Amino acid sequence: MIEIKNVSKWFGDFQVLADVDEVVQRGQKIVICGPSGSGKSTLLRCINGLEPYQKGEIVVDGVSLSDPKTNLYKLREKLGMVFQRFELYPHMTVMRNITLAPIKVRKKSRQAAEKKAMELLERVGIPDKAGAFPANLSGGQQQRVAIARALAMEPACMMFDEPTSALDPEMIQEVLEVMIGLAKEGMTMLVVTHEMGFAREVADEIIFMDAGRIVERGSGDEFFKNPKSQRTKDFLGQILK
Amino acid sequence: MLAYKFDWGVLWRQPYGEWLLQGLWLTIQLGALAWIIALSLGVLFGTMRSVRFWPLRIIGSLYVEVFRNIPFLVQLFFWFYAGPMLFGKTLQFKINAISGLNYWVAIFALGLYTASRVAEHVRAGFASIGHGQYDAVLSTGMTPLQMYWYVMIPHALRLIIPPLTTEFLTIFKNSAVAMTIGVAETTFMSYKIDEQTFHGLEATTGAMVIYLVLGMTVVKLMDFIEARFRIPGLMSR
Amino acid sequence: MLDAILQNLPYLLGGFLTNLQLAAFALAGGLFLGTLVGLGRISKRPWVYYPVTLYVNFLRNIPLILVIFWFYFVMPILVGRTMDPFVSAAVSFIVFEATYFGEILRAGFQSISKDLVSAAYSTGLTYRQTATHILVPIAFRRMLPSMITQSIITFQDTSLAYVIGLQEMVRRTTIVDSIEVRSVQLYSFVAILFFIICFIGSRISMHYEEKSRKAKVL
Repeated sequence: MIEIKNVSKWFGDFQVLADVDEVVQRGQKIVICGPSGSGKSTLLRCINGLEPYQKGEIVVDGVSLSDPKTNLYKLREKLGMVFQRFELYPHMTVMRNITLAPIKVRKKSRQAAEKKAMELLERVGIPDKAGAFPANLSGGQQQRVAIARALAMEPACMMFDEPTSALDPEMIQEVLEVMIGLAKEGMTMLVVTHEMGFAREVADEIIFMDAGRIVERGSGDEFFKNPKSQRTKDFLGQILK
Repeated sequence: MLAYKFDWGVLWRQPYGEWLLQGLWLTIQLGALAWIIALSLGVLFGTMRSVRFWPLRIIGSLYVEVFRNIPFLVQLFFWFYAGPMLFGKTLQFKINAISGLNYWVAIFALGLYTASRVAEHVRAGFASIGHGQYDAVLSTGMTPLQMYWYVMIPHALRLIIPPLTTEFLTIFKNSAVAMTIGVAETTFMSYKIDEQTFHGLEATTGAMVIYLVLGMTVVKLMDFIEARFRIPGLMSR
Repeated sequence: MLDAILQNLPYLLGGFLTNLQLAAFALAGGLFLGTLVGLGRISKRPWVYYPVTLYVNFLRNIPLILVIFWFYFVMPILVGRTMDPFVSAAVSFIVFEATYFGEILRAGFQSISKDLVSAAYSTGLTYRQTATHILVPIAFRRMLPSMITQSIITFQDTSLAYVIGLQEMVRRTTIVDSIEVRSVQLYSFVAILFFIICFIGSRISMHYEEKSRKAKVL
């Protein structure tokens, strides 16, 4: 579904991504981990065209991002994204946050969009908060709304950029549960996270990135029990203490 | 489109070109002299707004609110037309007979108006210095007056050089309003050229260029002053 | 003592109304154009950014009174006939004040986190939709106190339309003064009128500033 071929990216002189190669199949759940600054977030942003890349190619469902004729907006509808700091629109209610894109982009009617939004809110566990403003919600609740907002566009793949890193410990679980639920339903997922418990339970493949490169990739247990590279071992040693 | 023959030569043909330059000289005078008043009064009233003694704070606030909320043109007209009358019937005629009265009234009014804005910047400067310094200086035995004069005011002035630069630029722009009472500064001259030649468009465009150049010079000057008086380690550029 | 004012009250207040009308046009046009200017100042497209930046930096260095004159001379040439001073003044104000509102809104736009914009784009919204539904509403709410302050300044600036003969309050005051010669009363009156409106406006601005400081919602 997503093919990343030999992608490199520079910010000025600094190389952020170096020869990244990866294929994401439909239904796969891939977890990306690594130290900060390793390019994990940048990679996600390159996939939906939020960031440009200088070398290589990214193809999403047969559409290449480097092709100048590509309609990036249409492409982004297929890829839902959830951010570390939730990034809900502060001046809109939860309901409006979720229905804005379906109404404006997919041209859905207000009723249809709101009906779908309520279904999604049920799914993430907070249907009663439809009329609330983001400022009135806890971090965990905001992030669940953010997930619902991304799901509202019925994406083929969901990307998560450290979704629980900005949350208080008590709230991490409620968000992870939603994500596990999504995984079980068969959603294709690309998750940048430090939550190794989640990775163990859900991931088909785990990628370790450092300094813009994919250092190691492996599936589930094999990755944790037998990391091949020293850097991977060091990193896992740090976060699994 | 009206058939209009542009005549850019009007800008350097005598005497028109010279008029504009004479106007520039007056603009500089108005701005510079008014700035001296504005700085002195601005520091005074800004300090008054920041002291602990509340009667002074009220007087300072009153001054700032009054002079900030009335348009400069109205203030200028008040001082020029109504001002002499405040001195009573006999003095009034003597004052109005002073040649160049409009020049001095313009400087006075401009200084008073700008002082209210400078006062606000000074107050903000004091606020950002913070309480610790205030206590530290007083504990060395200085009186509040000495503290302000020797420590706080010099410190605050250096901190607020950027907003003061904006006010300095603004004072030159506001000096143009003095044309309404007949002061022969840049804008007045461009209007006068139009009266004589009907080429006001070229004249006002020329005046615009003059203000632009003046503005850039002022910014360079203030940059130089900021570099010269910079407080090491406090702020980076 | 107040006869000069009372006898000419309708005439003077009619002038004040003109100031208010001119301010209304200036604000409406200035805010609209200012929004475009603000967006232009954060644009990544050089053919948008550089002209807008030039425009802003140019106009902010010139006295408003000169801009009023310039449009007064320019517009008859462009339009082909003499202009109503109100229209000429309104155009000058809109073009001039747009630079100030533009800079205020630019600060508002720049205070919006990049990720919030990314979140909007990631749901498929176009630039236009993101600007309309996200950037502009948030920036306006955040910069409301500054915008109120700038509106007060705009209102004060309408007095400068005096110079092209517009029948606004200051000009009418000078006309009455030339007949009645009660300068102190008359100029105090116009000063007090402006003071009241502007003072109320500044209190409203401070109220919103306090409110947003306490709420920290946006």
